[in-house]
Amino acid sequence: MAEGLDAETFAGLIARAGDKAYNFAYRLAGNEPDARDFVQEAFTRAFEHSESYDPSRPFDSWLLRILHNVFLDAMRRHSHARTVSLDAPAPVEDAGWADLLPEDAPLPPDELSRRESADLVQAALGRLPTPYRSAVALCDIEGLSYEEIAQVMAIPVGTVRSRIHQGRVLLRKAYEELESRGGARS
Amino acid sequence: MNEHVSGEDLSAFLDGALAARDRARVDSHLADCRACRDEAASLRHLKLALSSAPRRTLPADLALRLERRLVGGSGRGLLARRAFWIPAGAVAAAALALGLWARRPAPVEELPLEPLLAAHARYGAEALLPAEHLVASSTYSDQMTDLYADDSDPGSVR
Repeated sequence: MAEGLDAETFAGLIARAGDKAYNFAYRLAGNEPDARDFVQEAFTRAFEHSESYDPSRPFDSWLLRILHNVFLDAMRRHSHARTVSLDAPAPVEDAGWADLLPEDAPLPPDELSRRESADLVQAALGRLPTPYRSAVALCDIEGLSYEEIAQVMAIPVGTVRSRIHQGRVLLRKAYEELESRGGARS
Repeated sequence: MNEHVSGEDLSAFLDGALAARDRARVDSHLADCRACRDEAASLRHLKLALSSAPRRTLPADLALRLERRLVGGSGRGLLARRAFWIPAGAVAAAALALGLWARRPAPVEELPLEPLLAAHARYGAEALLPAEHLVASSTYSDQMTDLYADDSDPGSVR
């Protein structure tokens, strides 16, 4: 391990960054078993490659980047589909803007319970192609800045900007479709 | 009326990611344009729905397992046997939660009391072993074993 990131330090980092990593993993995976596997693998990689960690930068961002790569590796290597779906809609670049334009009705409707709304949001998030899911989750759920997201996803800030907005448009569309079908289970 | 604000600019405006001059331009346009205001309100609702979703916390049994495997004792030696430690950890955690220590099947790694108490204090009792965590990791864990077997790709840590 790199000097300055010894075992005790790493124990503290698990405690400090674990919740954020797990929440992000859950939003990407959409289920607990996969989220657990992603987090476990991410911490393992972080531990084994800690010599490449730059202590002058936030550990959280470095860990989220590893976690994101774990997620992408899993998507590439396995075509299994639970809520992590490789049958997700085509990337926005392939879609016409007419399909992406917002509907009139704003959301979420107040009559839905908070729990139902949260389930719907998670289900809608799971329908996004992975680049958009990651960008939206990092921005709106984890609260990262565009610059931080660019580092985690290893893409330019301009691409982050585009993915966040297009991701939101797709998410709204997915949310409304799920809502019209009666809930997150559809 | 000015040209409508682009969707990307609206999102960046809501995220506080616009430079001061662009922010002032969008702000001024929204004051006069009902369509862009409605769109901004819709995006804001969506952002709020995401940010207010209940946050998941690292399950205590997973935190404990990570600490034990990565930090406690001979971390690297244990990591070298990664194919073993997923099922062993799951069995140990399930046995612990179900109070089956007295008749647990051997051999399962001993879990001393001190780290459990430390994890309990650190992560809170409510986070300890929800029922769904008692099931050994399924299909994907098996597939992760394949991942572990492929150590020839350290570049995957990017």
